[in-house]
Amino acid sequence: MFKLERRMHISRKVSSIIVFLSFLLAFFVTGVLFYFLGVNVIQFYSVICSVFITPNLLIQAVFRSIPIILASLGLVVAFRMGFWNIGAEGQMYLGMVAATGIVILHVFYEAIPVSLMLAVMSAASFLAGGAWCLIPASLKAKLGVNEILTTLMLNYIAMLFVDYLVYGPWRDPEGWGFALSVPFPDYATLTLGGHPSIAGIIISVAVATLVYILFKYTKFGFVLNVLGKSSEVAKYAGMSVGRATLLGSLISGGIAGLGGFYVVSGMIGRLRPRASPGYGYTAIIVTMLAQLNPWLILPAGIFFGGLLTAGDALQSLLRLPSSAITVFQSVIFLCIVLAEFLRRYRIVLKRWKQ
Amino acid sequence: MSIEWIGPVLASTTSIGVVYLLGSLGEIYAERSGILNLGMEGTMAIGAATSFIFTITWGHTIAFLLAGVFGMLMGLLLAFFAVSLRLNQITVGLAITMLGLGLSGFITFPTIRKTVLQTLNPELPSTALETQSVPMLPPVSLSFLKEIPIIGPMLFNHNIVVYITLILAPLMWFLLFRTSIGLKIRSVGENPGMADALGINVFRIRYLTCILSGAFSALAGAYLILGFQPFWIEGMTGGRGFITLSLIILSTWNPLRAVFGSLLFGGIEVLQYRLQLFGLGATSPQFVLMLPYAIAVITLSLLSLESFRKKMSAPATLAKPYYREE
Repeated sequence: MFKLERRMHISRKVSSIIVFLSFLLAFFVTGVLFYFLGVNVIQFYSVICSVFITPNLLIQAVFRSIPIILASLGLVVAFRMGFWNIGAEGQMYLGMVAATGIVILHVFYEAIPVSLMLAVMSAASFLAGGAWCLIPASLKAKLGVNEILTTLMLNYIAMLFVDYLVYGPWRDPEGWGFALSVPFPDYATLTLGGHPSIAGIIISVAVATLVYILFKYTKFGFVLNVLGKSSEVAKYAGMSVGRATLLGSLISGGIAGLGGFYVVSGMIGRLRPRASPGYGYTAIIVTMLAQLNPWLILPAGIFFGGLLTAGDALQSLLRLPSSAITVFQSVIFLCIVLAEFLRRYRIVLKRWKQ
Repeated sequence: MSIEWIGPVLASTTSIGVVYLLGSLGEIYAERSGILNLGMEGTMAIGAATSFIFTITWGHTIAFLLAGVFGMLMGLLLAFFAVSLRLNQITVGLAITMLGLGLSGFITFPTIRKTVLQTLNPELPSTALETQSVPMLPPVSLSFLKEIPIIGPMLFNHNIVVYITLILAPLMWFLLFRTSIGLKIRSVGENPGMADALGINVFRIRYLTCILSGAFSALAGAYLILGFQPFWIEGMTGGRGFITLSLIILSTWNPLRAVFGSLLFGGIEVLQYRLQLFGLGATSPQFVLMLPYAIAVITLSLLSLESFRKKMSAPATLAKPYYREE
């Protein structure tokens, strides 16, 4: 017989092993599921593997992982302080809006010097994403409104707001009536070093370093960590819980906003409806897989960027829909959630005694 | 402007509203027992996709039943993770939504759908294997009642699912607020420790409501494609599962209020189309579409105010797992 026993303490090493094994379990479960759905599982996995060993595709994977990585780094801050931000998607959209707004200001009114454009755009994106996250954060801090539902609902409002802008006032007058903003001029796109992924990698590593420093070396990071463990403890320790929630979520949403900046400035070069295919939701999986560790976010993010790339290959090579990748992602998600259970409980085998 | 358009507008208000109402009926029970099912969106998509396929093979009735069964399975998955393993309902729910959206896209992908359809029913003609549309549920008009101005077209010229849903709403209100099983469900959501001490099986109740929520979400998806928009598009639920969650907040976890709320949300959607037809707000229908989400945020905030909290509030242990002291 076996019995569940609650773990009192778990070492970081055991915890990482459990998460990693659960991640592998997802490959197995997906394989079984797809086998029953009539998919050639070996071909499926070899297409996914090929993404990570073919240089061209790997570059593509890294490229597509950058918005996911940035959104995840934002979520690290939120989740560590116990703020269930599932609104990274919406915060990214606000970041896109801000970056595009600056470009439009410049194109039509020449308000900003060209040399400062990228700096101003990224700063605006950070502030817009942060401000969007401040709405649920202040509702939580002042009224105690549960942030899960509010962040979720605000995603849709942000998405519809982008629709409104590109179908309406921001539609490119020379765009043949398509719902697109004006294309970004060269000085507003991330072309450093020839490929936009180079700037993306630099931004991601820089932000990961900053998040690491925030939690490792600053007092504010410590406050956020305590807040995440227990807001009661934080209160008794005389920490200003409300202010920490607000500032922490400003940073969290801000980093996601930077991801939005990267999407329009590095990837698409203009604003269009549904510019994010759910990067903000994938980021939740990545953040949990990386166990809130900013360094692990980078490889975890690249893996999921690779899955998106594999989705295209699946379609052309195996005639499988890209939703196969969504299924795979969701199984990984479920398995990582399952890891949480194994981290909390130990399964103890017991001899049957009369 | 003539008054002619009122009838159709009211009729489609009801037919859209029923999508939300049907979905909310099960989920209200789940939330009342402390389960927040963020998997609704995906379960709805599964309901729509399976009923699309099964309608082609075996017709409406079986399609509805099977969609319900698949919804129950999704609910069971949620229950296993959230109730038995006591895992975070938010992450499990989002994962289920992702799974549902993925699977629904997968099985309806033209080549895969063709194989699925042929396996289920080898005698299908080739047109049925490729069609994106399904026959709609026939309307059953209640002849004389339909002539009543305003209420007539609004309520009495619809398909059978609409009538059943409208009758179910008060029944499920009664079950939840006037019977002992309803009291049990609500007490499990308010204070599971106390309920357990009184001999109520908290786990069994929560399993039951999870499955109920899954079934109703999938039925709402099935109704969406069979009763409202009779052709399959991947992602056709388009956030309606989440709108249903807003509806539940607006109706303060009460099936009767959900009837009015669902008509309001249905009305908002119709209004959006109509405004475009009239040339009003043609440039910004998006702001109308934002309303359900905005209403949810505002209602949640209002419900947190001290003066409201005493009268009505969210179930106390919503989205919190229950640990039995052992």
